[in-house]
Amino acid sequence: MILVPDVVSPIVVGLYAPAIIVGILVGLIGLFGISVEKNDLHVLILTDIVGIGMLIFVAAVGTDLAESLILPGLVVELAEILAISEILMSREMRKSGKTVELLPTPLHYNLEILQTAPVFLAIILIAYGAFLSGFTGGAIAGAGILFYVMSIKVRGVPSGVWEGLAGVSGMAWCLWLVGFLVLFVFPQYWLLGLMLAAFGVFIKVVFKVGIIGVMNREEFKKE
Amino acid sequence: MLDVYVWFYTGCILVIVGSIATVIGPGVKDPVVRIINTEIPAVGISMIFLTYNHTIALVTFIAATAIVTLILLRAVVRLEEMGAEL
Repeated sequence: MILVPDVVSPIVVGLYAPAIIVGILVGLIGLFGISVEKNDLHVLILTDIVGIGMLIFVAAVGTDLAESLILPGLVVELAEILAISEILMSREMRKSGKTVELLPTPLHYNLEILQTAPVFLAIILIAYGAFLSGFTGGAIAGAGILFYVMSIKVRGVPSGVWEGLAGVSGMAWCLWLVGFLVLFVFPQYWLLGLMLAAFGVFIKVVFKVGIIGVMNREEFKKE
Repeated sequence: MLDVYVWFYTGCILVIVGSIATVIGPGVKDPVVRIINTEIPAVGISMIFLTYNHTIALVTFIAATAIVTLILLRAVVRLEEMGAEL
């Protein structure tokens, strides 16, 4: 017996079978490529194709559940590809005995606009992100902080800033969890819970993206 | 309004053709060509996400694809600098 809730629209139900067939087909094509290929780097690239088959499977569910399952799938795939590519490179380094730079092409971005515009743009982006709140707002405000941190030339962030950013990020995570708890334990305060969760995720994403900016500046402006 | 099915089946065709092109397409012995070929199924699955209205998933997928391409190209460049056979 197949149980489909009424909230799922008939179009999604109608598209389920073709989507699953396409997903299986793509996965089989990718696995065939992996079984034929000998080189490890090529196998890593073909893993991407199998991942796309997996994403079609999840997307075919077609509700908010699918959306919330796709996000961790993407993040896990990203982390996996990063880790395996590092392993491949370090193995090759050990085999050949040669070492190469961490970043093959050094980035020199000496644009005039990076010194004059960042404050204004960062303020606009952060204000708009705070207005949106939630995941999207966090991404937008984080882009503002990223742009600001990467362009303004202040060398040497004290280590306290790092720990401060991480700490605020952790507290925002707690805010998010408390928001969810409120939603389930005291449903009559749903607006409070919604706001706690939205702004917790907002602060969290902002600082995560901001930390990327701090890291990048420390890496790239070393010379 | 365009029909939903147009987007969905265009996406399906792009995904299948793109994955075949990545596996046995012309010039895939070169890893850079293979990485660029993976963008075709990426466009296809973006269309499938659009059909289902998975906005946040679509945005995250685009960002993740860009980062994956950067990581893979960096791996290719570093391995070639070390003189590994690709």
